[in-house]
Amino acid sequence: MTTFKPTGYPSFMRPQPILLRLVAWLFAAILASLICTPAVAGPLAIEIIGGGANQLPITVVPFGSEDRFKERVSQIISADLQRSGLFKLGAVGSVRPTEAGEINFRYWKDQGTDTMVIGKIVEKSDGRVEVQFRMMDVTKQVQLLGFSYSVSVPQLRATAHKIADQIYEKLTGDVGVFATKICYVTKGDNRFELQVSDADGFNSDFILAHREPIISPQWSPDGTRIAYVSFERRKPIIFVHNLLDGTRTVLANFEGSNSAPAWAPDSKRLAIVLTKDGTSNLYTINADGSGLSRLTSNQSIDTEPNYSPDGKHILFTSDRAGSPQIYRMRADGQGDAERLSYEGNYNVTPRYSPDGKSFIFIHRNEGQFNVALQDIASRQVQILTTGSLDQSPTFAPNGKMVLYASETKGRGILAAVSSDGRIKQRITAQSGDIREPAWGPLPSNRRKE
Amino acid sequence: MRNRIFALSLVSLLAACAAQGQKSADIEQRDLFDQQAKSQQAAKDQDAERQAKIAKEQEELKRQLDEQQRRQQQGDAAIVKPLPGAGVGGSQLKGDAWSQLKEPGSALSKRSVYYDYNHYDIKETYVPIIEAHAKFLMEHNDLKIAVQGNCDDRGSREYNLALGQRRADSVKRAMVLLGVTEKQIETVSFGAEKPVGLGRDEDSWAKNRRADLVYPNEPQ
Repeated sequence: MTTFKPTGYPSFMRPQPILLRLVAWLFAAILASLICTPAVAGPLAIEIIGGGANQLPITVVPFGSEDRFKERVSQIISADLQRSGLFKLGAVGSVRPTEAGEINFRYWKDQGTDTMVIGKIVEKSDGRVEVQFRMMDVTKQVQLLGFSYSVSVPQLRATAHKIADQIYEKLTGDVGVFATKICYVTKGDNRFELQVSDADGFNSDFILAHREPIISPQWSPDGTRIAYVSFERRKPIIFVHNLLDGTRTVLANFEGSNSAPAWAPDSKRLAIVLTKDGTSNLYTINADGSGLSRLTSNQSIDTEPNYSPDGKHILFTSDRAGSPQIYRMRADGQGDAERLSYEGNYNVTPRYSPDGKSFIFIHRNEGQFNVALQDIASRQVQILTTGSLDQSPTFAPNGKMVLYASETKGRGILAAVSSDGRIKQRITAQSGDIREPAWGPLPSNRRKE
Repeated sequence: MRNRIFALSLVSLLAACAAQGQKSADIEQRDLFDQQAKSQQAAKDQDAERQAKIAKEQEELKRQLDEQQRRQQQGDAAIVKPLPGAGVGGSQLKGDAWSQLKEPGSALSKRSVYYDYNHYDIKETYVPIIEAHAKFLMEHNDLKIAVQGNCDDRGSREYNLALGQRRADSVKRAMVLLGVTEKQIETVSFGAEKPVGLGRDEDSWAKNRRADLVYPNEPQ
């Protein structure tokens, strides 16, 4: 329920069309009538380990009037930027300008900051709030960004993520992923939950809970559905869960195992793994469960398909050469598969980078299972993590971070590493195990065409 | 049981709620702009429409819940229900035949075949167990067996699922070679998802690399 409008400098206030406000208010009322209590209390805790070599100094000044609300906008922005490992956040003192005219640039230069973010929250008569923010270049004394968002109070958190995305994009040139979603599986006592949350672990809520395991969740590239494998019928079956209306359908329930769903980039078809005709082989199927077609016919295990961003190729794991290795085949099944991994005797779970030039996978090295990155053209491999039992890597939609499952003290946790291996985060749940992460796509209005 | 129904109802309810939540910022944003030109009346109509949809969804939810509850009750009443596709067999088996399976120290009383890491070939130690069960199945040729493949949880869950299937299939193949009818054997893989050993050591992992032989109708 965010309305979004860029504003020129210096004039900030542009009246909102009354009709827009009315429609928005009605939506707010309807949404508010559907009160949902979160099932699992508390957000995930994120701990940052290490950081980029050259962190950009930035100060996010507390926004005017932000302390009237539960969600502190400037703190959420700061936490997002901090988590990326690319910024050095300046200390927040007692000098708190909220308008460009109030800034003493010399003071801020002396504080060692290059960039500052200021803003304020204005409460409006209809109960909505206007979040104004500006990003200023302290040296050049010019405004780099200036936006105003008219939102309902529950949207303050999402708005802060959008602001963090704007800042990140302006300063790094890469797409921000703070306003994206992730999903993962939690395991408690006899209970598995498939959770969807914001990328920072807040606003988590489960979309499925069962005492039988749930594995391999995958977001449709359009962000509307999650495919996963559930053992609820005491064998692996693939479901497609619609996030817009909460309904779900069986995608594949053939004899034997049904697993490893992978969406094609058009969100209309999936590659899946079935054992109905023998060992695990790759098939494709429409998102509604129709149109099954076989892709590979081997006596070996072929599993973990993953589409290239252009939809032309599929990476997969196969033990056709004796040990599990990573192969690439044409998505139409024509021609021979090409082996891509050669180092070591256990390479699994390949996932294309968003630019299609490299892939991440799990590599076993001297008994340790780690996330590794391989450049497709040069075949160069870089091991990114140092855990002992890392699993299920998933790229952030900007390709800058990799989220994966790991372990600490016998407990399943999530961890993240930057694709250059420098920045590391550890994400723990308050109790139980957390595993099988999948990073959702960019919001539809921010995807490149 | 009650817990489970409660959990399920929560699931469905939250699924519906989560769905609403998912609709938030971006989609609403688009809606708002699309709606901008329409009249206030249109907005009200939409409101009414939504309310009606919600009511309908809730009705559907209740129906699904009742259905789920019914199914769960059935499921719980028969924990030893055959696996899907395994059919119902062996109910006519006499008590002494079942007790044969449980005779202490016999090969029939052993129900697990263990494997080396990343392997699915049957070790010689376990051949007598498979032979004994094959013989038993041939003597009772309307009896069904489920072979459940498992793995330790290192590496990839999906690769382990495939490997577990191979382990189950290796047992099935051996039994078929010994003369058991293919239709008597159903294989399933639980991959790394049903560990018996919960430690992070070779002892635990070794316990998890196995195929279990389960007679769905066997009295407990």
